[in-house]
Amino acid sequence: MTDSVYTVVVEKDLEDLVPAFMTNRRKEVETLRAALEARDFEQLRQLGHRMKGVGNSYGFSKVSELGKSIEDGARDEDRVTLEALIVDYADYLGRVKVVYE
Amino acid sequence: MRILIIDDDENLRSLLAHYIRQEWPKAEVEEFDPLVRDMPDEQFPFGDYELIILDYMLGRGDGLEWLHEFRKRSDCPPVLFLTGAGNEIIAVRAMKAGASDYQRKQELTRERLITSIRDLTLDAAERTLSPELAARMEGHMLGERVRIPGFRILRLIGEGGMSRVYLASREGDDEPLVVKILRSEATADKNALARFMEEYALIERIKSRHVARIHGHGVSEGHAYLVMEFFDGGDLNKRLGGKASPPHEALRIFRELMFALGDIHECGILHRDLKPQNLMFRADGSLAIVDFGIAKHVDAIDRTGYGEIVGTPRYMSPEQVRGMALDLRTDIYSSGVLLYQMLAGRHLFDGETAVEVALQHLNKPAPGLVEELAQYQRLLDKLLEKDRDARFRNADEVIGFLARKFQQT
Repeated sequence: MTDSVYTVVVEKDLEDLVPAFMTNRRKEVETLRAALEARDFEQLRQLGHRMKGVGNSYGFSKVSELGKSIEDGARDEDRVTLEALIVDYADYLGRVKVVYE
Repeated sequence: MRILIIDDDENLRSLLAHYIRQEWPKAEVEEFDPLVRDMPDEQFPFGDYELIILDYMLGRGDGLEWLHEFRKRSDCPPVLFLTGAGNEIIAVRAMKAGASDYQRKQELTRERLITSIRDLTLDAAERTLSPELAARMEGHMLGERVRIPGFRILRLIGEGGMSRVYLASREGDDEPLVVKILRSEATADKNALARFMEEYALIERIKSRHVARIHGHGVSEGHAYLVMEFFDGGDLNKRLGGKASPPHEALRIFRELMFALGDIHECGILHRDLKPQNLMFRADGSLAIVDFGIAKHVDAIDRTGYGEIVGTPRYMSPEQVRGMALDLRTDIYSSGVLLYQMLAGRHLFDGETAVEVALQHLNKPAPGLVEELAQYQRLLDKLLEKDRDARFRNADEVIGFLARKFQQT
């Protein structure tokens, strides 16, 4: 983890859609935490898959990257890695700054 | 136009709907959330829609199963199927189950979505309005017409000057493959046809994991074709995305490239057109060289007319720009240009025109790397020597250098 800010450049015309995207991503962290707590690896895999699919579409490639890692980690039932990835995800969402161009 | 989007992700549905409404303000877009609604039953008015966009993983169901059910209905409109990247076997199954097109979700841009929708929904009269669209439709139709025993052509996935490239599958096991079909105008050109057929003959000589595997070749409906391995990992161009690679990754890829070159040079073949689009990656990260369309056996080099310039200007060796007879060292130079691009995140030379770029290989010293990458400068210098006598002579020499200087074995 670093103190740096992650800047994501998003097309101007998506400005209305991004707040809902971010809200859902924050909710997703809570759902991921709960799924890990319950050792529900199938749900973790599905959530990771969804992150992988939607992140890049909005320009948030880090969300897709983390999603792929979570999907892989869930497939391997690797709790330690998943826990670290969820921490990374929450940290990323706390630092990400959206710039509309 | 009325479109139904079935996806378990609210944000993706919104985004797709937004893109569609931007392009077609009068379009009616209905979002269907499979997490809260069951699979449409026999009462569902499919006929009211001109297109369905259907995701593969629906949260509570499997998009392929839904697709099978939908296609049983006579009023089912075209279906654009969304898959995960690197999951071509699902794309193959979707196309065989009746999807009209597929898109890899992670790579789905506004342009790709709109192009696909336009291809699937516009009528013939509208298609003829755009030459670009007409050409693409011709490509789709060609894919439907050509019959290859043991294989099924599913979708046009790329077009080059000489050929079109299709996703295909092997009958029996759904293995995703690529079919390359020579364009009809090129088929009529004896030289182009000879080159295309020579590509097969050349690749067949190389038994290497670093070269795309060929599964068949021939002529169907007057069109020459090759059936080749499909690469889940895409090409180097896509992998770089206009940015630099971490140095260790750049060096790993470069070393694989040297092994690949070693294998093809050992068979007496020069590639002559190394560029990011011709370096493909498998799902396990291994690299293979494709497109031997202008490759030559060294014994046949004399048959290349003196002064004939072939290759891609950004990656050409100085001797290639001059139209001289070539040897192994031309591919070594082009590999150096690729390594520079991977390390620096930009092209070795830029210019307004192809000629301007090409001439810099003759006259302009290669730009140096930044200080943090200084340890790779000597390697690059020896790869990018304009005088080929001062360059590494072959891939083995480069591999030896890598082992000594970077402990790469």
